[in-house]
Amino acid sequence: MASKFWGNSDSESDEDSQLSDHDEDEVIIGGEEAEKIADKYRIGGDSDSDESDDQRRVVRSAKDKRFDELAQTTVQIQNQININDWVQLQESFERLNKQLEKVNRLTESQVAPRVYIKGLVLLEDYLNQTLLNKEAKKKMSPSNAKALNFMKQKLKKNNQLYQADIEKFRANPVSDVESDSDDGENADDVFSDDDDDDLPEDRPEDLSDDADNPDDGGDWTSAQKKPKEMFPKLDPGQISWEMVDKKLKEIIVARGRKGTDRAEQVEQLSYLARCAKTPAQKLEVMVHVVSAQFDVNPSLSTHMPIAVWKKCVQNILVILDILAQYPNIVMDETSEPEVENETEKGADHEGPIHVWGNVVAFLERCDDELFKSLQCIDPHTKDYVERLRDEPLFMTLAQNVQQYVERLGDMRAAARVALRRVEHVYYKPQEVYEAMRKLSELQSRSGAAAEAGVEGEEEDGDVAMKGVTETKGPASFVVTPEIVPRRASFPSVNRKLMDQLVTLIYKYGDERTKARAMLCDIYQHAISDEYYTARDLLLMSHLQDSVMNMDISTQLLFNRAMAQLGLCAFRESLVMEAHNCLSELYAGGRVKELLAQGVQQSRWHEKNPEQEKLERRRQMPFHMHINLELLEAVHLVTAMLLEVPNMASSMHDMKRKVISKPFRRLLDINEKQTFTGPPENVRDHVMAATQALSKGDWEKAVEVIQSMDVWKLLGKREAILQMLRGKMQEEALRTYIFTYSPYFDSLSLDQLMTMFGLPEAQVHSIVSKMMIAEELHASWDQPTRCIVTHNVEPTRLQALASQFAEKLNVLVESNEKAFDARTGGGGLEGMGRRNRDTQDYADAAGGRRGGDFGGGRGGNKGGRGGRGGRDNFGGGRGGRDNNQGGYNNYNRGGQGGGGRGYSSGYQSTRYQDAYSSVGRTPYQTGPTAAGINRGQQAADAGGRMVSLSRMGSRF
Amino acid sequence: MADGNPPPLRSFAQAAQAEVEVQPLRVVQIEGLVALKIIKHCKECMPALVTGQLLGLDIGSILEVTNCFPFPSRGGEDEDELDTDGANYQLEMMRCLREVNVDNNTVGWYQSTYMGSFQTVELIETFLNYQENIKRCVCIIYDPVRSGQGVLALKALKLSEDFMELYRSQSLSGEKLREKNMAWTHIFEEIPVKISNSALVSSLMTELEPEAPATQCDFDRLVLSTNPFMEKNLEFLIECMDDLSMEQQKFQYYYRNLSRQQAQQQAWLQKRRTENAARRASGEEPLPEEEPNNPVFKILPEPSRLDSYLITNQISNYCSQVNGFAGQSLSKLYLMDAFHED
Repeated sequence: MASKFWGNSDSESDEDSQLSDHDEDEVIIGGEEAEKIADKYRIGGDSDSDESDDQRRVVRSAKDKRFDELAQTTVQIQNQININDWVQLQESFERLNKQLEKVNRLTESQVAPRVYIKGLVLLEDYLNQTLLNKEAKKKMSPSNAKALNFMKQKLKKNNQLYQADIEKFRANPVSDVESDSDDGENADDVFSDDDDDDLPEDRPEDLSDDADNPDDGGDWTSAQKKPKEMFPKLDPGQISWEMVDKKLKEIIVARGRKGTDRAEQVEQLSYLARCAKTPAQKLEVMVHVVSAQFDVNPSLSTHMPIAVWKKCVQNILVILDILAQYPNIVMDETSEPEVENETEKGADHEGPIHVWGNVVAFLERCDDELFKSLQCIDPHTKDYVERLRDEPLFMTLAQNVQQYVERLGDMRAAARVALRRVEHVYYKPQEVYEAMRKLSELQSRSGAAAEAGVEGEEEDGDVAMKGVTETKGPASFVVTPEIVPRRASFPSVNRKLMDQLVTLIYKYGDERTKARAMLCDIYQHAISDEYYTARDLLLMSHLQDSVMNMDISTQLLFNRAMAQLGLCAFRESLVMEAHNCLSELYAGGRVKELLAQGVQQSRWHEKNPEQEKLERRRQMPFHMHINLELLEAVHLVTAMLLEVPNMASSMHDMKRKVISKPFRRLLDINEKQTFTGPPENVRDHVMAATQALSKGDWEKAVEVIQSMDVWKLLGKREAILQMLRGKMQEEALRTYIFTYSPYFDSLSLDQLMTMFGLPEAQVHSIVSKMMIAEELHASWDQPTRCIVTHNVEPTRLQALASQFAEKLNVLVESNEKAFDARTGGGGLEGMGRRNRDTQDYADAAGGRRGGDFGGGRGGNKGGRGGRGGRDNFGGGRGGRDNNQGGYNNYNRGGQGGGGRGYSSGYQSTRYQDAYSSVGRTPYQTGPTAAGINRGQQAADAGGRMVSLSRMGSRF
Repeated sequence: MADGNPPPLRSFAQAAQAEVEVQPLRVVQIEGLVALKIIKHCKECMPALVTGQLLGLDIGSILEVTNCFPFPSRGGEDEDELDTDGANYQLEMMRCLREVNVDNNTVGWYQSTYMGSFQTVELIETFLNYQENIKRCVCIIYDPVRSGQGVLALKALKLSEDFMELYRSQSLSGEKLREKNMAWTHIFEEIPVKISNSALVSSLMTELEPEAPATQCDFDRLVLSTNPFMEKNLEFLIECMDDLSMEQQKFQYYYRNLSRQQAQQQAWLQKRRTENAARRASGEEPLPEEEPNNPVFKILPEPSRLDSYLITNQISNYCSQVNGFAGQSLSKLYLMDAFHED
């Protein structure tokens, strides 16, 4: 015995046993002498000793003894299972294996004894049970949990060897006297559920419960549910409604469970759909097929496989077919799927049949998946284009769904669907739309060419897939003809489609739907160069006020619409408007983020992965992008056109009014460079042009600007370049006058005309405007065609006084702000502003913008009405402004004669009024700053006054 | 002694003890000689600002300044050394004066200023230092530039009692100031200055008085140039504005932080309360609602109001200067106008 023991211990050393040797020998060696030897080794006095004591008493043949030992261990395992002691279980398991080895040596057979198998089954079942029970797993002690993991691996490896035996045992556990009722509970359940008409022995693959076991190898477990085997012995004709129903419920129950193979479930369900007895049942099954297909992709961040998506769309179309064919079938979400047997009613049933499901939700899900897939696919690959070709398919589906819901009279849902359609159309210029239309026609033609017949026909000519569906299983019982058109009808002009959809939405949609539709509408108008329509829509809808409170995706849409509006304004040569639209986008330097066109690395604060994931989910697919380079070019060029003369005019002024901060910043950076190379990117170009323009060298500026590549992206390139040229000439003239008029006593009109290549009338009007706006202190001398300048330098004391007044202003402003913040009453503005500063992106996408566009009006309002509570303050301030103005006038009056001072003062107030009445022009961002700045702007921007009021009249 | 009643005869000790009721300081009486010495010292070192010690007697409501000596002007090299040097000089000077039997009781100090920009923290601190030793002390401020315009810009100042109290307790927060009803005007108290001469000096002066009815000082007053002075004042005002804005920003920042912190505190309390409710429901001991170690409850230090008060004082000083000056200038202009018409 001792020698055996030693021999044993050698062989056992191969196994990575965690037991110490003396533990083993206690178990293995039954005899008394062995007991003595064992005593020497025994240190801890294990509980195992009892068991070896038991063994000692019985005298039997070696073989019996071994079997007894095995049985003993099995019982032990059972006990340990009861107390959930995995450490002990692990030991027992290893002991079991060793004992088996000995038994086999004795019996000289390779067949594992039944007792052993029983032990394995016990262990396995319990293991699965434990693994499924997450709670218990968490509560385990570390050593226990470790042992459990160890067991998990060991058992899996081990059991593979005895696969067949285990199954046999499971198939017929009763043969064992001690069979436990509670072991393999799952096994029995599933097994009995699985088949009604077949004996378990006939289908050994079907017998295991291990579909539930995620840890099992699965090579023998997952195969058993292939659809073909579902009713293997039955002719499809024999399948009854009940059977299908039962089966369906079974599959549904398994849905969402861990370890359920989703793809397979889909297959099973589609097979069932073919077997369905009544149209209603088929519909029911189809609904589940679709949901299962949505389930195929478990993660939120990845998209669903494209093939599955296509099938899914087809399935929804089939659902619609059924619904169209049998108008008495009603699909809603309220009916209980479990209780009633409504679906048993056949096709000839009169009266409504209720089936659970929601097509609109399906459609939306489909859209989301399409969107996601476009987000994920690399836009520079062919896959992306391929994917884009699926859009008409989706449009078809959407159209059909919409028709269906409209038929039902559920207009709210129809509006939702319409919005989905709108969102696929709004960003497409006419050309792109045309292309899509053509594609759709082409696809439908090729679809028609392909043979039509059984359901599940793929209309986009996916032959391979069709082949698969046809070979799979028999033709379905309920043949559904294609009733619903498989091709979307696109009106020839996208505007028409938009109008039609948007009207529907405005009529029936809820707030968010309407807002989104409105934004899409604005976007669409903007890309089709209808600036005024788009702007009016925007202003009428008051979206700019409320967009901050909307969800981020709507805010993104708003930003996109604003960007397009800006581009549109630029194309219409409305420089100021374009700049106003775009400046907010560029204010924070987070354009990419605001337009959801790529994630921007921010230097200041790291985003946590959670935020980043969220942001990635918001990204626009590539084909919907607005060209950022063009956007930047437009923004900078408009900023340049406004800022260059502005800078020239306020060169010596202490209060530097800044129109575009980002532009100024760029300019500063540019000026700091020791060496400026030839321009490369958009910024360089604009900066170079700015340099030239501020020197009055408009020709060079025009050349630089026109050499930019991005203009190629604009439709009417020539016209726009021409427009730019004109604008730059004008601004160069203004800049020149601002910069150099102090150094001249008089300027010749003819000279200016030749210098800036402008006709006389234009020069005359520009200069006159500047005079009226008090930007230029000069007067015309008609006979000599000269501008006579009246230059007055304020004395040092005067300069100081005005500087002081300004400081005082600042102080009062900030005092009021502080007061607002403290009292909270009128301070909403102040608070909002502060919040806006500190807000992080989550709210800011639109929130930041809220100040603008809306702010233009809000600011005005705030300046007048909002401050009503503290009229004395406002009045005081206004008074001060007037004083300042008066002081300037006084100065000039000394020179230019008494009348001028008065008249210019008058004009400035009038303009101010004109300004506020124009009102909509988004001029102001800071609500509190509105008061003073408005005055200043009225004065400074008066040069543009004429054009503005013209514009105002068009409102 | 203002109230004519001769005090009853008492021993000196009795008198010393009885003088519990302190009469407020009403007048600072400066010897003509002292005033001249101060003016001379300040004017000679004009661009630099100088200081000196005032010596004299404290009699009831009158503080007599009978002597003074300048502190050596600071070279500005080694501060420590200078400080000890200055202290030594002061002690030495006092000793010498005592030896020749001159009043050597310190009653304050004088300093020169430039355009009245004297309201500084340093001044307050110096004052408090003096105040520790001398109950009644005074600071005499002389502005040589303003005096150039024909005014004797001599001022005697002291800190108000309330302010000193507050300052000592370092509680210049808004709340405390409000409690004490302390406005910026209440920091300094100006005491009227009276210049007195001994009869001998007066008679000598009369003897020396020149025949001409107008003095140089009178001519100075008639100078029409206004700009430099106004410009300077405005410049200072602008600077003050900047400072004030800075202070204000500090406060805004503070309040912003404060409100943010309060929001945080509320959130934390809310959380703690729900947590406690949950704990109570499950029968556990509720956690305390106050947690001093929590960073949320750390008290934000409120910025001191002293600076803004001083700046405000400064501003008001400049303003009154401008005001006074403008008034004078205008009357001069009218005068000139009238002359021209003639």
